[in-house]
Amino acid sequence: MPGRDYLGEFEHIVVLALLRLAEQAYGVTVRREIEVRTGREVSIGAIYATLDRLEAKGYVKSQLGDPTPERGGRSKRFFHVTGKGVAAVNRTHRALHSMTKGLDLARSYSL
Amino acid sequence: MTKTPRLQPPRLAIWLVNQFTPYEQAESIPGDLLEEFSDLKLKSGEDFARRWYWRQSLNAIAYLIGSAFRLAPWRIAGAVIAGRLLFLYGLMLPERAIVAVLRKYPIYPNYDHENVYALWMIWVPLAIQIGWVIMAMSIGCLVAAAVKGKEMVATMTLALTFVAPPLVRMILLRPQAPFSGPPFLRIGIFSVFPVAIVVGGAIVRTIRSAVSSRRSASPC
Repeated sequence: MPGRDYLGEFEHIVVLALLRLAEQAYGVTVRREIEVRTGREVSIGAIYATLDRLEAKGYVKSQLGDPTPERGGRSKRFFHVTGKGVAAVNRTHRALHSMTKGLDLARSYSL
Repeated sequence: MTKTPRLQPPRLAIWLVNQFTPYEQAESIPGDLLEEFSDLKLKSGEDFARRWYWRQSLNAIAYLIGSAFRLAPWRIAGAVIAGRLLFLYGLMLPERAIVAVLRKYPIYPNYDHENVYALWMIWVPLAIQIGWVIMAMSIGCLVAAAVKGKEMVATMTLALTFVAPPLVRMILLRPQAPFSGPPFLRIGIFSVFPVAIVVGGAIVRTIRSAVSSRRSASPC
């Protein structure tokens, strides 16, 4: 159904990391943000594969920054979430909230 | 003598990542890896940083291969099929060319010459085999040229079409027909094709990367 796409689990995490980092969102910071907040080790490759997919869907946009010496003169690629991306996050949140509403997850799955 | 400190990440890993990275990400992915490598080297030491760099590079390559297939599956499939067809028709070319040249310009016009045997039994087959390898590399170059940005993925897939069938045959038929010859004969000339194809792809990719970085470095 067009316009009713939900974000996958990792896509969701990456978009939330972009929203948290705002102007400072590029490969390294996104990877570190996810590692710190989820405790999950992720690779640069996984981050870029997801960001490319999100960009193809129109959920994020990217632009190159200035080259820096600590990166061997290479530019950073900064990402930001588009309005369509924010709508997708909200839609996914609503769906998850609706699915978990009324479930006592802590009791059901702690056994 | 003091050991010279290694300041850079592993060169082979850098080269491999560059081979698979799309041109639009040629700055971001290697730059991110280098930035994290420098931080890790200060925090945890160079050996740890190098191991991390290798792990991240291999992981990134796996994701980049998957991403190339997702983004351009038909273009890659078309190039691989065209490459196989070129092989089908091109395999006879070296033999025809060498025989035609030898007929036109005979090295030993007198057929009683004792070297004629060596020529046709040793040197001509060897030249044909070298011709096949050059042809395989050329086809690798052509396939890579047809899929800009996904050169290595396309040539590796084409190479896989040569590696997979003998492997499957070897696994399935081994109990019925074990190979009794010396081990080096198992690696026939056809096993060199996949390597030659990938080398062709790497040549095209390296040239394109050099041209692309020169263009981005130029002021206009």
